[in-house]
Amino acid sequence: MPSASMLSASLSGREPVQDVALSVRDLNFHYGTHHALHGISLDFPARCVTAMIGPSGCGKSTLLRVFNKIYALYPGQRATGEVMFDGRNILDDSINLDMLRSRIGMVFQKPTPFPMSIYDNIAFGVRLHEKLNRTEMDERVQDVLTRVALWNEVRDRLNAPATGLSGGQQQRLCIARSIATRPEVLLLDEPTSALDPISTARIEELLDELKEEFTIAIVTHNMQQAARCADRVAFFYLGRLVEVDTADRIFTNPREKQTQDYITGRFG
Amino acid sequence: MRMTPVLRSSHRRAGFDAVFHGLLLLCSLLVLAMLGGLILLMATGGWQAFTRFGLSFFTTVSWNPVKDTYGVLAPLLGTLVSTLIAMLIAVPMAFGTAFWLTYIASGRFASIVGTTIQLLAAVPSIIFGMWGFQTIVPFIARDVQPFLNHHFRHVPVLGSMLSGPPVGTGLVTAGIILAVMIAPFITAVMVDVFGAVPPMLRESAYGLGATRWEMMRKIVVPWSRNGMIGAIVLGMGRALGETMAVTFIIGNVTTVGWSLFAPRSTVASLIALQFPESPEGSLRLSSLMALGFILMLLSCVSLALARCLRGKRQ
Repeated sequence: MPSASMLSASLSGREPVQDVALSVRDLNFHYGTHHALHGISLDFPARCVTAMIGPSGCGKSTLLRVFNKIYALYPGQRATGEVMFDGRNILDDSINLDMLRSRIGMVFQKPTPFPMSIYDNIAFGVRLHEKLNRTEMDERVQDVLTRVALWNEVRDRLNAPATGLSGGQQQRLCIARSIATRPEVLLLDEPTSALDPISTARIEELLDELKEEFTIAIVTHNMQQAARCADRVAFFYLGRLVEVDTADRIFTNPREKQTQDYITGRFG
Repeated sequence: MRMTPVLRSSHRRAGFDAVFHGLLLLCSLLVLAMLGGLILLMATGGWQAFTRFGLSFFTTVSWNPVKDTYGVLAPLLGTLVSTLIAMLIAVPMAFGTAFWLTYIASGRFASIVGTTIQLLAAVPSIIFGMWGFQTIVPFIARDVQPFLNHHFRHVPVLGSMLSGPPVGTGLVTAGIILAVMIAPFITAVMVDVFGAVPPMLRESAYGLGATRWEMMRKIVVPWSRNGMIGAIVLGMGRALGETMAVTFIIGNVTTVGWSLFAPRSTVASLIALQFPESPEGSLRLSSLMALGFILMLLSCVSLALARCLRGKRQ
């Protein structure tokens, strides 16, 4: 049975109906008494890159941290509203956090290699959720390292400490580690902010390939990056979603004046 | 030729800097001289005992001022075993508390417990000695040892460890008091060590679906391994050298045996009790100085060991 939103979309004759991986409805977020997100409603189409942009403190990282409920580690942080993922509201207390996090992976501002070998970094997450024998695990490690274009660089030193890799390699390792548990969604929180331009370019290329399989939500301060990588861009300001549209339209013809001002560098 | 004022003043500043530099150098040399002097004092003081008894100094149990024969085996074992017992109790306790405080507890209660631990770490050891004498010794004598002895008397080895008259003083009592003394100290250091694990690293582990237990075992422990070893060795150093609290509750008998509940002595307690009454130049005084030398050596070795363990990793 077609849902109301599908009907309205097809009636208005806009873009073709797409699967939605994450659907946010009327989300509010509080850090203690600070109200950080105000009534956010936003869809993340499956197998698309959605970029979230906006000045520091606008709530874009906060939104990302809602999707894998990492905020739940900290008392006093709470989210209300609805975030639908695979037919369930993940804000429900009954959601199994370990399972959720194996299906929604996250990569941070700085590379976070674990204090263990390259191989074990990849295997860490896999071992938490699956029982693989040695051959299967070897294959999984090779597979994900190949996909992040790291295999040729590290194949001879899989047992070396991951901390010995360069920053760009470490970040690709972290992406490999996140996709090794075969998630559906990848959350990237300014993944290139600590990297040099060449490493940044490699990560951006990688996003293009990864989106064939994963739904990607990326927070970025770099508008060129959003323009290069994203299919859709959401602009946040002071905890509110100002505008969301295709990257083309946001950067060429935004509806809102605030968006216009931000992308042209008038504030930020 | 007259100097310009600018040059003269910079000359003066350079002179001041040289003096300052010299003062700093003096301070650091003083530290070296201090340690060297202590080692030298202990070594020369103990020389008479070392030459007189030779290796048998380390294998003789008897410490007999009447016959003027001295051996360090009894106090040395006392120090080592009481410290071992203390570490066995204190380290898991400190680790658990520190982990709970850093990663699990939150809010007011956690901050109260955290402050209390720091206060406990600052309590003078003599207070623990009095508490041990008043509370723990009778408790061990009346309840713990009779109970254990009643149930495990016939178990080999364990039975002999529990044997002896229920006086309440001994290695277990000393170990408990030492543990209570050093656990807050180790906890306080470990809290700092755990706190230094980058939050993003922890979130990465949680982000992959790790539980607290997995995060602790695979991320926190390897990451903070060096700091934890440091914390443990610092605590061990205090336990090895602790004097008054132990003197109150160890029983002060220079014997060796299986029982952990019989009165014993430790290096520090023996020195504390006998040093003031040993005449200048006597073999007894020399033996006590030799004990001091050994105690210093123990601390140095444990510190060096910690350095080695840390060195292996990075």
